[in-house]
Amino acid sequence: MLKISLGFHKCIRHLPSGNSEISLKLLTSFTPPVKQPTGALCFYPSSAAARTVKRFSNMAASNSDHNQGYTVAKDDRISRISSSIRVIPDFPKPGIIFQDITTMLLDPVAFRDTIDLFVERYKEKNISVVAGVEARGFIFGPPIALAIGAKFVPMRKPNKLPGAVISEEYSLEYGTDIMEMHVGAVQAGERTLVIDDLIATGGTLVAAIKLLERVGANVVECACVIELPDLKGRDRLGGKPLFVLVSST
Amino acid sequence: MFAEENGLHGDPRIKAISDAIRVVPHFPKPGIMFQDITTLLLDLKAFRYAVDIFVDRYRDKQISVVAGVEARGFIFGPPIALAIGAKFVPLRKPRKLPGEVISEAYVLEYGTDCLEMHVGAVQPGESVLIVDDLVATGGTLSAAIRLLERAGAEVVECACVIGLPLVKGNWRLNGVPLYVLVEPRLDDLECTL
Repeated sequence: MLKISLGFHKCIRHLPSGNSEISLKLLTSFTPPVKQPTGALCFYPSSAAARTVKRFSNMAASNSDHNQGYTVAKDDRISRISSSIRVIPDFPKPGIIFQDITTMLLDPVAFRDTIDLFVERYKEKNISVVAGVEARGFIFGPPIALAIGAKFVPMRKPNKLPGAVISEEYSLEYGTDIMEMHVGAVQAGERTLVIDDLIATGGTLVAAIKLLERVGANVVECACVIELPDLKGRDRLGGKPLFVLVSST
Repeated sequence: MFAEENGLHGDPRIKAISDAIRVVPHFPKPGIMFQDITTLLLDLKAFRYAVDIFVDRYRDKQISVVAGVEARGFIFGPPIALAIGAKFVPLRKPRKLPGEVISEAYVLEYGTDCLEMHVGAVQPGESVLIVDDLVATGGTLSAAIRLLERAGAEVVECACVIGLPLVKGNWRLNGVPLYVLVEPRLDDLECTL
């Protein structure tokens, strides 16, 4: 059975052969982006009408291949963004390949395109809160929040936020850490995005989701610039969808 | 200089920004009236006003770099950088930036801390704006200025949402002008949270 990400309407057509053909349509309307999307995976439709994204049979499909196609962006701007990210081996320790987004921030076109890709996806979706994870989530979250008319809520390391907070402990490779959010920043029922620069194991994003859900927020999606798919963070988000610009294996 | 004394006298946006900031008494320790900008970030209009005022001031100044001090400078710096077409350069606590960095130590009330910047992020001769949420003693901003000057850049101004002149009437830090939107409040004006 195929797992379909939110935001699509699944239409199943039963074929005479007994197989099923599944097509997915983007239901929401977007204002047309400046650049037209190319390729079969049309994530940014140019018209406001619903449009078929892709067809596939459920015969021999593998979930992960098809899942990834829908929630990794396809757009002409992606290659510039991807090339602008610097890869640093053995940081912070041997064996880790660090994805350094600071070089993307030095390319005003790539940085602007990164923000635009998120804004195009989330504007007119009634998102009222963008929650950004300290510290690199603070770089991407506020420009998105300002552009879509949402509040920005910082999710912080312990003892940084003054006043009343709620805390969530989460696992690191060795030991644990704590994430905090202000009491009263988010109201029950608010539609919320969680933003960070990168998703690895997903531990940090899960902590953010939990904090938001504890106050009754509706976490609509998690959004990151980069995903490390081999670490399978996407599968650990408690069913919450993940949208990324660049997938790095 | 305060924004109100520099072209924005009577601008209602200044009061909106000031009113949106929450004062938390005795944080992080007794006697400190903490100026909490997170409530400003929850006020769509006031956050937009703050960014707009900075963007209007710096848009035509040929600034090619906005440097933001971790972590609250990361909130205000990028929207300004994006609007004026400048690079954004994060100035970080030690060991956060990968690769080659330059470091500058600075004095805290008790002990010292360190600010780092990537080698190569800024070229000699570039015009730079430094952004942080608040200026108090000026220790962090001084370290930031020194980092950028070591890289050969020219720091045009330091911009903060909240601050006071360092010593009465002195609005320069190592010769670099300071531009501040609002002064710290000492009362506990009713606020969003």
